[in-house]
Amino acid sequence: MSGQLPPPAWLAALASLPGMGPARLRTVLSDRDPEAAWDQARFGALGVAEDLSRRWVMAARQIDVEALWARHQSAGIRVLSPGLAGWPRNLHDDPEPPALLFARGDPAVLDRPCVAVVGTRRCTAAGRSLAHELGSDLAAAGICVVSGLALGIDAAAHRGALSAAGGAAPAAVVGTGLDVVYPARNRELWDLVADRGGLLSEYPLGTGPERWRFPARNRIIAGLADVVVVVESDVTGGSMHTVEAALERDRTVLAVPGPVRSRASAGTNALLAAGSLLARDATDVLVALGLDVASRSRVGTVTGPGGSGDQVLDALGWEPATLEQLAERLGTPLGPVAVVLVELERDGWVAQRSGWYERLR
Amino acid sequence: MLATIESAVVFGVEGRPVTVEVHVSNGLPGFTVVGLPDTACRESRDRVRSALLSSSLPWPQKKTTVNLAPSGVRKQGAGLDLAIAVGVLAANGDLPPDAAAGVGFVGELGLDGSVRAVPGTIALVDAVRAPCVVVATAAAPEAMVIGGRAIRPVRSLADVVAALRGEAPWPEPPPLPPTAPPDPGPDLADVRGQRVARFALEVAAAGGHHLLMVGPPGAGKTMLATRLPGLLPDLGDREALEVTRVHSVAGLRLPAGGLVRRPPFRSPHHGSSGPALVGGGSSWLRPGEASMAHHGVLFLDELAEFAPSVLDALRQPLEEGSIRVCRASGTATFPARFLLVAATNPCPCGDGGPPGACRCSDRARARYGRRLSGPLLDRFDLRVDVGRPASGELLGGDPGEPSAAVAARVAGVRALAAERGTGTNAAIPVGRLDELAPLSAGAAAVVAGALRAGSLTARGLHRVRRVARTIADLAGRAEAVGEEDICLALQLRADPEVLGAAA
Repeated sequence: MSGQLPPPAWLAALASLPGMGPARLRTVLSDRDPEAAWDQARFGALGVAEDLSRRWVMAARQIDVEALWARHQSAGIRVLSPGLAGWPRNLHDDPEPPALLFARGDPAVLDRPCVAVVGTRRCTAAGRSLAHELGSDLAAAGICVVSGLALGIDAAAHRGALSAAGGAAPAAVVGTGLDVVYPARNRELWDLVADRGGLLSEYPLGTGPERWRFPARNRIIAGLADVVVVVESDVTGGSMHTVEAALERDRTVLAVPGPVRSRASAGTNALLAAGSLLARDATDVLVALGLDVASRSRVGTVTGPGGSGDQVLDALGWEPATLEQLAERLGTPLGPVAVVLVELERDGWVAQRSGWYERLR
Repeated sequence: MLATIESAVVFGVEGRPVTVEVHVSNGLPGFTVVGLPDTACRESRDRVRSALLSSSLPWPQKKTTVNLAPSGVRKQGAGLDLAIAVGVLAANGDLPPDAAAGVGFVGELGLDGSVRAVPGTIALVDAVRAPCVVVATAAAPEAMVIGGRAIRPVRSLADVVAALRGEAPWPEPPPLPPTAPPDPGPDLADVRGQRVARFALEVAAAGGHHLLMVGPPGAGKTMLATRLPGLLPDLGDREALEVTRVHSVAGLRLPAGGLVRRPPFRSPHHGSSGPALVGGGSSWLRPGEASMAHHGVLFLDELAEFAPSVLDALRQPLEEGSIRVCRASGTATFPARFLLVAATNPCPCGDGGPPGACRCSDRARARYGRRLSGPLLDRFDLRVDVGRPASGELLGGDPGEPSAAVAARVAGVRALAAERGTGTNAAIPVGRLDELAPLSAGAAAVVAGALRAGSLTARGLHRVRRVARTIADLAGRAEAVGEEDICLALQLRADPEVLGAAA
């Protein structure tokens, strides 16, 4: 029976053992093949601390390797391991690589130049729109956009990449098992990325969202990427973990500048002050990648809506404002401003959320 | 000997007539009260005895039985004291026979023989089956509100006995205190800046639209809400009587003239229980804060901190304008037609107004948002974000428009709505929207765009049209609703994602 199962099946089983992190798994596999390791784990012969060994023996009894492997296969999930075909090229010399990766979709999308587009979940509408634009332009230029499928910037970058007709497919690294969609709101996007690009995780099936797994996931994103772009981030947060991991790996980090008073741009502005490269648009990113691009700046190419719309947009600027603030800046009654705002929103110039207006383009 | 005296007890906000029958006969001296009295009622024996003795009146050394008819109805309160005392005197032969015929008695006795006012005097006087009612002097203005009955205000039991014996005339009613102009309350001119919030307040007052204010702590939400009653017109005679009835039963202090003429303002604390808010109670049914806010303003500060079950109890009054409270002792209907104003922080940290500024975790925000049920949020026609005013507005800046000027416009709009026969604009039925709030071409285009974009639902549309009607009325455009009106109504719309989670 055991002879019929391929090595990845044993790998998946080993990864499902409690307390089996990447470092421990690497140690366990350093001098034996996965099948042998599994057999030794079952009998407590792996030479690890006694209580851990006992836990593994208990856990291994509960795991039916054959059924587990069948679950992976029916869900279309492959198990990648270092040195074998399909292992992402950028992880070969990673200082802290995952011991294995579970993958849905096609991990070969990572063979293209990879750009991580990351940022905060609590982003502004402008940030979301920029992330979308970056994702779309980069994908159109044949770049694989890598992100974490979180809410906010991550999701916007993925949506943008998927929206580019004929563009390169994106990849995502998630912090849960591939069968645990988190956040649940992104289920549709999650499936789209898996179907058209690649969805990766170092965690076995059934792993739920836990706080500490996301920074660990971020190191893989940083490792996979050739260049990391931070669209919006506070001075602390997950995106900053990605940046740290990227710097450890000598990846180029770019940051999108934002309004100095916006909390959502405090982190990116700090990165720029510390010497990160400036990312105004996809062209800046392509230049950082060393790709030869024809410059096509968006600045000045956008013509305003005209008339009173221009005045209101000028008064709005690039920071969120309320109807009251706009009427105050323009020195007009509320009514006419409200009319213009409704028109601007209809035409996609501004977005409104719970009373706050944000300029989109 | 037997004596029967008319009085009444309170049930809900209504009075119920009660006949006090006193029978004095030979036998072992004793005093029994029968007919389902509650504790306060049963204790009246001791008060009555002391009051009689203090007033140098005899206490019968015989077997005395007091029956409160109808005996199947539970009696509560001390309002029967005076009737029992007069009954005892009459049954004992200390009053001329038939002296108390055609006279009802409502009042509590002090041990010194004084007569005190009881809660619910209006309802009681209304219910007593007698053309002439004796009440405490303190309750006289309230009792005279009813009209159609002779009111005999008395200070003490001795006054009553003297008048019944014909030894002295009934005391004259005290002169009504001059009806001083009611306290205007805080003025809107104190509010600096906040143009949108002031406007929303005006629209809420004019159209009777429920208003939700969202903003960080210290932005002035409470300050704004307390200024809303000042924008509402005086209560009409019928409304004033309804409100006074509830306030009288609830034991609230009534204005000097007896009638509550100004719309009440009630702001229960967010720790309030369900019965405290909508009425109820185990021993006797009391009106809740929602009923005390009848024809006025119910202000719920920190809406998200109220227990969800308590808030959901408000859905019936918001729908029907009244509350039916059912208990084992019976069912009472309390009037509760109020203007609901609520205030809440946008998220637990309070700074979540502008996008990207919140420090809360997603989970905390989602949990906070879940505290407000959709059906309740659905009742709000208006939602306004109240930001912290800029320092320049606080220190310098012109004082805002005074309440009186705004109240004049509000009264105009309310009169218009009354002419149309809809009560308020918020109550325009869906079937009459096309007739009463027709859309101009520009307004129709805006609405069509919003519907197409999915940012407006059919139900939301009705609400937006009612609000737009009010805005147009305020601007003096009595015919079709214009583009500007509908755009402003869209701005003030309470979208379902009130405490919008970031995403």
